[in-house]
Amino acid sequence: MAKVIVKLFGVYRVDTHISDVEIEAEKLSDLLEELGRLAVGEHKSSISFSDASVFINGRNCKKKKQKLNDGDEVWLLSPASGG
Amino acid sequence: MTEYCGYMGRVLFVDLTKRTFSDFPWTDKDRERTLGGKIMAGDILLHHIRPGMKAFDEDNWLVVTTGPLTGCGCPNTSRFNISTISPLTNIVTSSNCGGDFGLALKRAGYDAVVFGGKSEEPVTVHIDSDGAVFESAEELWGLTTSEAQEKLSGYPGRLVIGPAGENKVLYACVFSNERTAGRGGVGAVFGDKKLKAVTAVGTKLPKLANEKKLKDLNKKWTKLLQTHPLTGRQLPKLGTAGLVAPMQAHSILATENFSAGRFDGFEKVSGEELAENHLVSNGACTTCVIRCARRVMVDGKNVKGPELETLGLLGPNILNDDIEKILKWNYELDELGMDAISCAGSIAFAMDLAKHGVHDFGVHFGETDNISKMFEDIAYRRGEGNELADGSKRMSEKFGGKDYAIHAKGMELAAYEPRHAVGQGLGYATANRGGCHLNAGYLVVVEGLGLDVNSLTPHGKAALGIMFQNLMEAVSAGGSCMFTSYAVLPGFLIGKPNMLLTKIVLGAFPYVGPVVNLLSHFTKVPQINIPLLPHTSAVKYATGMRCNMAKYLTWGAYGYNCERIANIILGQKAGADKLPKRLTEELQDPSDPRTKVPLEQMKKVYYRARGWKDGIPTWHRLKTLGFDIDRSVYDAAVAAAAKTE
Repeated sequence: MAKVIVKLFGVYRVDTHISDVEIEAEKLSDLLEELGRLAVGEHKSSISFSDASVFINGRNCKKKKQKLNDGDEVWLLSPASGG
Repeated sequence: MTEYCGYMGRVLFVDLTKRTFSDFPWTDKDRERTLGGKIMAGDILLHHIRPGMKAFDEDNWLVVTTGPLTGCGCPNTSRFNISTISPLTNIVTSSNCGGDFGLALKRAGYDAVVFGGKSEEPVTVHIDSDGAVFESAEELWGLTTSEAQEKLSGYPGRLVIGPAGENKVLYACVFSNERTAGRGGVGAVFGDKKLKAVTAVGTKLPKLANEKKLKDLNKKWTKLLQTHPLTGRQLPKLGTAGLVAPMQAHSILATENFSAGRFDGFEKVSGEELAENHLVSNGACTTCVIRCARRVMVDGKNVKGPELETLGLLGPNILNDDIEKILKWNYELDELGMDAISCAGSIAFAMDLAKHGVHDFGVHFGETDNISKMFEDIAYRRGEGNELADGSKRMSEKFGGKDYAIHAKGMELAAYEPRHAVGQGLGYATANRGGCHLNAGYLVVVEGLGLDVNSLTPHGKAALGIMFQNLMEAVSAGGSCMFTSYAVLPGFLIGKPNMLLTKIVLGAFPYVGPVVNLLSHFTKVPQINIPLLPHTSAVKYATGMRCNMAKYLTWGAYGYNCERIANIILGQKAGADKLPKRLTEELQDPSDPRTKVPLEQMKKVYYRARGWKDGIPTWHRLKTLGFDIDRSVYDAAVAAAAKTE
């Protein structure tokens, strides 16, 4: 199990009231599941962390089975637009 | 007068020199050709300008236009547009605003008002159904934008400038409520004409061609916007400020005058920080159902909060991570009446010149104590502020540093660093009004922010860019907020980025260029209405005009070519579609050769698809689109454009 820092952005953060959290997980998919358990707030049921855009140590990661390492920083972002 | 509903059927012409007014001729044929808004304004200017005309010439016109949907009950359609020759770029600028003036102008009985001439004394023009009344603005001259509007609080529609406009800061803007016609220095043209304020009042309403169908459509349209992942969730919850974090992740957050795409302190100036610790409530333009605007407290006052551009360009781009300062600066810029993007860009460039030892303007990266003073110096053209008031391009011509003066055609770039979103880079370079992210086509929304299309490949970007530029041109001309066009991106592509179908569709994006180009070139082909673009049906039900996707693409193409050929007549040179070398020759990531904007490669494809040669529409293309300009004027302009500067 790797101990990683998870940071949430966008609607994930506003809806769950979690800005950052330390999680132990072997793979990214495990981490996303654990996050689902930790989430609180009125929007909990509508949050799907598996739909997040994920960055690990600044690099975009699309593999749910990605192995995690101690000290990794994982960002979860929601889609955005504006002007 | 008009046979169409939706429109009021009159355009007012106001002569500020003679202090007279008259009806400006505008026929249904003109409406069918231009729809309204910025395309209508561009067309009016195209038929008025002459080679070499400048922003502060007496016969430069200010054209304030609404769209046919403005005032028709559709969501997000209070928009109006101001077009003129820009003092910042010397070409046509169009500036869009969500304040109340557009609605009030239509209620006064006009689709547009054109200001010509120049007043000798400060003047306020009051518009109602009987025409225009001229009143001395001596008492308003010198007031800030909120103070001037307070004095005019009895009028439902107000347009005012602040001290920056009065002093002809080249990027001064015009305010209506707290919303801004921000870009290109339209406020400076107001100031040059001594036009401090315009009001509009009336009780008229546009007739609707099919009220029931429009009402039903509006319900569905509102639901679409309020359930879409972007317009229904991200924008209301985080505002445009919510882009800071994704921009950081995707390395497109302009940092230290666009020398990098990431900033270590980004979280302190992010939309999340704004939402969690500073947001008082959401705000909105009239008729808006998205409500992306932020309300914050500054010195005990409940005021408008910063947009993404202000956070980015007065945050990471000047190495500042103090959001409290940005909230205050945003308020100060609004009061003085200056475009945050161009002002912040000019300050970042001044900081870079100091860093390079070229010239010290008294502002430096990471130092924030003197920014407020610099704003005042710019607005009142004092000391070094007088140099910054002319914008980055002129500063670079006088002091040097052209390679890192971050502008296109003289207009400072928005906060998106394009070396990690190369399609956005192409858009910045080709945008008619200069370095504007929206007129660019806003391809960055598919290059990582909303969709995850490969942001470093040039493939397909020209085609997609043209499609987006044309579509947004028509959406704006109809009177709609351009954010409504984001809903054209199917929700599942955005909300389910990791689904197999999404990955297949996004993977194919760079290769659909030829098909998209066909649509952009043969705009009359898609004779359909699509649910994700309700604008076309809304125009049909509001006006009675035949309208579908094909019409929107045709209007968009006409509008984009209209401003382009107007710019060529005004003196824009072939080769003007360019970016500073920092973005096209220096790698953002030295280990990745893809991290610069391959502009020339993309431009070739872009020009071919547009039917342009060296950035100039061919005569054949203009004729195909229905332009009626004189051949000799065209030939002379093209010959002049071919000569190097």
